[in-house]
Amino acid sequence: MAQGIWVFVEHADGAIRKVSLELLSAACGFAKKTNGTVGAVLFGTGMDSMVEQVTGYADRIYVVDDERLSPYTADGYTLALTHLAREDTPAILLAGSTSMGRDLFPRVAMRLETGLAPDCTGLEVADDGKLVATRPIYGGKVFCKVSIPDSYPQMATVRPNTFPLEEPNRSGERVQIDAPLQEIDIRQKVEGFDKAGQEKVDITEAEVVIGVGRGIKDPANFKAVKELADVLGATIGVTRAVVDNGWWDVNDQIGKSGKNISARLYFAFGLSGAIHHVLGIQTCKTVVAVNSDPNALIFNYADYGLVGDMTQVIPALKEHIAKAKGEV
Amino acid sequence: MALDFTFTDEQEFFRQTIRDTVDRLIVPRAQELDDTEEWPEDIWKEFASLGWLGLRHEEGYGGMNQPVVNQMIFYEELYRGSLGFAMAVTMQVLMGTYFIKRFANEEIKQRLLVPAIKGDKKCVICFTEDQSGSDLAGTRTLATKVDGGWQINGTKQWVTQGPLADVATVLCTVDPSQGLKALNFFLIEKKTEDRDGFLPGQILHKVGGRCAITGELVLDNVFVPEENLLGEELNKGVTYAGEILNEVRIMTGMSALAISKCALEDCREYANNRVAFGNPIGNYQLIREKFARCWAWYEAARTQCYKCAWMIDNPDNCRVTPRELLELCMAAKFHATELCVTTVEEAMRIYGGNSFCTEYPVQRYWKNAMYALFGGGTHEVMKDYLGRMYLRK
Amino acid sequence: MNIYVLVKYVPDTEAIVKVASESELEIENKYFTSYFDEVAIEEALKLKEKFGGKVTVVTVDNKKIDALRRGIAMGADEAVQITDPGLEESDPFGIARALAAFLQKEPYDLILCGRQAMDDDAGVVGPATAELLGIPHASAILGLDVADDGKSARVDRQIEGGKEHIRCSLPALLTAQKGLNVPRIPQVMGMMKAMKADVRKVDLTELGVDPAMVGASGQKVRVLKYEPPPQRSSATMVEEDFPENVKHLVKLLQEEAKVL
Repeated sequence: MAQGIWVFVEHADGAIRKVSLELLSAACGFAKKTNGTVGAVLFGTGMDSMVEQVTGYADRIYVVDDERLSPYTADGYTLALTHLAREDTPAILLAGSTSMGRDLFPRVAMRLETGLAPDCTGLEVADDGKLVATRPIYGGKVFCKVSIPDSYPQMATVRPNTFPLEEPNRSGERVQIDAPLQEIDIRQKVEGFDKAGQEKVDITEAEVVIGVGRGIKDPANFKAVKELADVLGATIGVTRAVVDNGWWDVNDQIGKSGKNISARLYFAFGLSGAIHHVLGIQTCKTVVAVNSDPNALIFNYADYGLVGDMTQVIPALKEHIAKAKGEV
Repeated sequence: MALDFTFTDEQEFFRQTIRDTVDRLIVPRAQELDDTEEWPEDIWKEFASLGWLGLRHEEGYGGMNQPVVNQMIFYEELYRGSLGFAMAVTMQVLMGTYFIKRFANEEIKQRLLVPAIKGDKKCVICFTEDQSGSDLAGTRTLATKVDGGWQINGTKQWVTQGPLADVATVLCTVDPSQGLKALNFFLIEKKTEDRDGFLPGQILHKVGGRCAITGELVLDNVFVPEENLLGEELNKGVTYAGEILNEVRIMTGMSALAISKCALEDCREYANNRVAFGNPIGNYQLIREKFARCWAWYEAARTQCYKCAWMIDNPDNCRVTPRELLELCMAAKFHATELCVTTVEEAMRIYGGNSFCTEYPVQRYWKNAMYALFGGGTHEVMKDYLGRMYLRK
Repeated sequence: MNIYVLVKYVPDTEAIVKVASESELEIENKYFTSYFDEVAIEEALKLKEKFGGKVTVVTVDNKKIDALRRGIAMGADEAVQITDPGLEESDPFGIARALAAFLQKEPYDLILCGRQAMDDDAGVVGPATAELLGIPHASAILGLDVADDGKSARVDRQIEGGKEHIRCSLPALLTAQKGLNVPRIPQVMGMMKAMKADVRKVDLTELGVDPAMVGASGQKVRVLKYEPPPQRSSATMVEEDFPENVKHLVKLLQEEAKVL
């Protein structure tokens, strides 16, 4: 009988990825409703500190401590996760809609012959304990609610910042698992990793994002934007016009052909609000738009709007926000 | 069970391929191309390398031999981008190379037509002069018979890509007093050290489509050999011109349709988003009326143009005489162009004050639309002719 | 190299897609080959230019073969349409079953596809097909370098915080991310070839796939309803002049929105 809500937990550089903690928080909430248990799944080596970080969010922490699982490979993790899922049969299995989650979960779902709702922006557990997932399709023009009618585990990958981080209030029991990794030849081998620029949160994961459009007019004005970003703890994203001008990296392009973001707080500076951009930000919780054109479309998609010159407004915002946050 | 109004799957695929090509190569730079008087040789070369310049020519010369309907699909998609670039392509594909293909000898075809289809030689046609536009009988560029060939004198105006041309098909008279009965096409190349030819003259600064360089061609006592007379018989210039006139007119109609469509679609997005007095302006009747009228006429003009294109492809099935076909093509061009001119004016009204701002595309459509009023003869001349023809039936 | 590219014809990103009712969408008739699939086709063509061999484009579609035509126009050699009424309403897992059943009988060295189709945005078919074929996969690749002996490939993947370099054994299935290459614009000659191309049609019987595993009856994931994107109520505009408006905005963000 399938039971338990599991979260596949991701970690990097010794820290648990925030999206995994968000999903564990959500799992705890669901478990209260269904009277179920929460499981956290951790793969890697030297897992003690990881286990500590999740112990308050789960009832059982399944750990596969094996150097063949460090770093991530699709083959290794698929074997370990499917082995675990067949042994302990969770009802629900979640992961963040991250590069790893989106690489791993479709394969695991196929092997387990179950269903998967990928890249969800919303998740509920119905009264019968089954998942109802909300996900964007057609680039976000339409949202659809899906269910997995009759297979287990019910799998889903969920976007960062969909669920709030709650206070940890469980005490998980560590369960050491041995996965039969020796049976397979892991056919992917990680040879290296290039960090992107400096330490910065990817715009898809960031809680606070500052979007900059063509209205910045001069790349020199990015200096003030960066200072505001520092005060807010924000990641900077840009529109295609900025990328095309060669003023910023395409990695941070938001919208249509760039990335979708679901930040808690999004500032839009000097961008008109063309539909492509808007689709990329529509799941942001609070949107603040600043534009010198009072008729800019972006104001139709914002929660707060200010008409003004961004080069003037940004330093003033920085000053006042710093004061509000209690920093000087 | 005739009257099939659909395009085939292959035609839809053809359309999608040229549409996507135009979207990628030209549309991103359309505004810049139409505003700046700078010829984009880089885009030309890339476009030519894909093979599009061979649209209507035989496979033996590197062409695609496409039926007229497909050619019109091509123009309909091409003219959504930059007017200037489209004008240059059309000149090369249609008018500039037609008579070479039709009448020149094999040596000339190999030397000029083959590289033209590759985009390596620019070919143009010259009609208009200082004193003659729609009135071809007013042609004064004189071709005088001399030993071994002809001596040509005169200046041609309004030659699209003239200043950049390598090869020109030039309409000349051998006897001004004979009007239309003395007109002939001559092949003239650009003057080089070893060969007599034309020289580029003054550049004409256009209101729109500026990346196509339009100007004069000066023919100063240019000698051309006998084989450069393009035609099987002397003085049949007007008849020969008639061979492509229908295509030229429908092509102009397609260009007008393309501009109309761009204007309508832009205005739709604008009207749905622009808020005035608390509502998107698309909610107001007087705005909606503009869309209703322009869209209904657009659909009619589009069907009319494609029908004419089909008739050009199917002369035996279409049950009209060549004279009737000429009139129908004239009417189609006239309708599509007038509709376009109306549509862009309405587009300007829909955008209101913003229409006058170069940040918005509608002013470019408004400027560009006007060119179609004159290409292939002014509407005033055409309407007089059409009315007269109709009354005689 | 024998390369197979999985392609899909989807509504254009500019096409209007609206919710007509909870169970029906209204989709404007404007379609194109999913962009990520074009990137995959381009990569296959580049590999063919380097190593020689053959590129075959494959689609699962009961109505349109335009994506296949696009592949041929760009330079692919052969085209296969997997089509069967029993495939209607398949979810990605059903599609993967049909594709795997076909591919398993083919002499592939490498299978490429887009990282996700631009209609369902799922990204499931690629890895699921790899699983059924028993071959390794890597998704959202930004760089690909096939070893000269054709037995492995170095693959760059975009991940959070940077780029990962992996060596993957071949044959494998790789899904393409935007930025892997810039797809070529088809030549007119290619387009003419595509217009006359012979497309091989394959149905469920030929594939030997159990109809209960695909189509509506094979669905693992069911759509319950469609919804329009979440609407925002109109923005609160701060009206004061500068710099009072900035002060006011910050106050609102702190006290009302509670985001600072």
